[in-house]
Amino acid sequence: MTSLNTGQENGVKETVKRFILSSINIAHLGDDDNLFESGIVNSLFTVQLMTFIEKTFAIEVGMDDLDTENFKSLNAATAFVVRKNGRRGG
Amino acid sequence: MQHLLTDEQKAKHTEFKDFVSLHVEPFANEWDREQRIPDPVISMLAKSGYLGCSLPKKYGGQGWDIVTFGLLNEALGRGSSSLTGVLTVQAMVSMALLKWGTEAQKGKWLPPLAKGEMIAAFALTEPGVGSAIQSLATEFAHGSKSDSLILNGGKKWISCAQLAGVFLVFGMLEQRSVACLVPRETPGLEIEPIHDLMGFRSGGLAQLTFNDVEVPSANIVGKPGFALSHVAPVGLQYGRISTACSGLGLLRGCFEESVAYAAVRKIAEKTVGELGMIRSLIARMGSDLEAGTFLCHNACRSEQDHVPEAFEKTLTAKYFTSRAAVRAASDAVQIRGASGCHESSPVSRYYRDSKIMEIIEGTTQIHEELLGEIFVGQAGQVPQMIRSS
Repeated sequence: MTSLNTGQENGVKETVKRFILSSINIAHLGDDDNLFESGIVNSLFTVQLMTFIEKTFAIEVGMDDLDTENFKSLNAATAFVVRKNGRRGG
Repeated sequence: MQHLLTDEQKAKHTEFKDFVSLHVEPFANEWDREQRIPDPVISMLAKSGYLGCSLPKKYGGQGWDIVTFGLLNEALGRGSSSLTGVLTVQAMVSMALLKWGTEAQKGKWLPPLAKGEMIAAFALTEPGVGSAIQSLATEFAHGSKSDSLILNGGKKWISCAQLAGVFLVFGMLEQRSVACLVPRETPGLEIEPIHDLMGFRSGGLAQLTFNDVEVPSANIVGKPGFALSHVAPVGLQYGRISTACSGLGLLRGCFEESVAYAAVRKIAEKTVGELGMIRSLIARMGSDLEAGTFLCHNACRSEQDHVPEAFEKTLTAKYFTSRAAVRAASDAVQIRGASGCHESSPVSRYYRDSKIMEIIEGTTQIHEELLGEIFVGQAGQVPQMIRSS
C-alpha cells in the first residue's frame, strides 16, 4: 500500500516528465520508454534525475535504491517515488 | 561578492585567509622544492577541522555548508594548490562514501576521515585510462572466500596517494563497475611515489599496483554496476567544486601579486601599473577574478541547495577558473619579468600549478564536451518557431 492516491501519482509523473523533457532533447516521452537503452540521456543525466527526485519529493535515494529498474522510465521513476513516499508515510 | 555571503561565511573566509597567510604562503615554495608537505601541516589542517569540514557532525565533521567549503578551498588555493589537493581528495572520497556507503562503512571510515586522522585518495585514473573511465582495466574477482574480492591492476597519477590511509578504488567486477575501499596496509598493494611533476609538486602523487589484493566484499561502496554512474559522479562533483575554488584562489594570488608589484615597480619615472599594456593584463585578470568568484559561488550554492543544475554549474565554474588561472599565471609572470621566472616568486609556482587545474577532475576538453552537449540540449528545448526565426 502507498500513501499517494491516483491523482497525486499522476502529479508525480507529470512533474518527473517535465524535468526529463527539459533536460534532454526529445519531443516526446512515452511512459515506458527506456531512458538508458535509447541512448537519449548523457552521462550526467542519471545523477541529475536522482537529485531532482530527491529534492522535489523530499526523498533520499540511498544505496539500497541503486537499481536501474527504479529510474529506467517515467513509469518506473513514478512508481519509485510512490513507493518511497509510502514507506515514509507508513 | 561579499553581499552574497552570510556574516558567518564572511567570518570563516577571513579565518581561512589568516590561516593561509600564517601557515601556508610563507612555506609553499619550500614544499614545492622539496616535493612534499610536512606531516605537521596536515595535522594542522586536521586540528582546524578543515579535512572533514563538509561531513555531518554526527561523524565528527564540522557540518559546514558547501559555500563555506568553497571559501576554504579558495583561501587555501591562494597559498598552495598542492595543499588544497589534500582537501580535494578527502572530500571526494568522504562525500561519495556519505552518499553511497552502508551504515557500517560510514560508521567505520567517516569519523577518522572527518577528524583528519586518516587521509583518503580517489583511485580512478589508470596508466592507460584517463578521461575515458568506461574503459577501466583494474579488475576485481570473487575470492575463494565468499565474502572477499581479489583485486589486480594499477592506478596512476593518484593525488595524495603517498599520504593516504585508504583508497577508493574503481574497477570492474564481471563487467560491472565497482568502487571499493582498499586500506593502505593491505598485502599486495604497492605504492610508488611519482616525483618531478611540472606542478602540484608536493601533491603526494603515486602509482598504485594491485597484485592479488584481497579485500572484504563489505568494502564495496554502492552496488556493483553503479560505481561509474553514481559513486564516481558524487566524488567528482566535490572534486570539481574544490578544484574550481582552488583555481579561483590561485587566480586571486596572481591578481594580488601583480597589482602589488605594478604599484611599486618603476621603469624610468613611471610605475609598471601606469603602463597601458600592463593595465590591460591586470584588467583581464581582475575581471576574470570577479566572474570566477560568482561562478564558484553559484556552483557551491547549487550544490548546497541540492538542485540538478549543480552539476552543470560546477562544470562551468571549474572550466572557467582553471582556464582563467592559466591565463592569469602567464600574465603574472609576464608582469614580474625575470623575477617572476625564479622559484623564489610565487607566480612561477602559480604558472606551473595552474596548468594542472586544466587536467584534474576532467580535462578542459572533457568539460567542453559535457557543457557543449548540455547547452545544445537545452537549446533544443526552445520552440521550433523561435529557433527558426
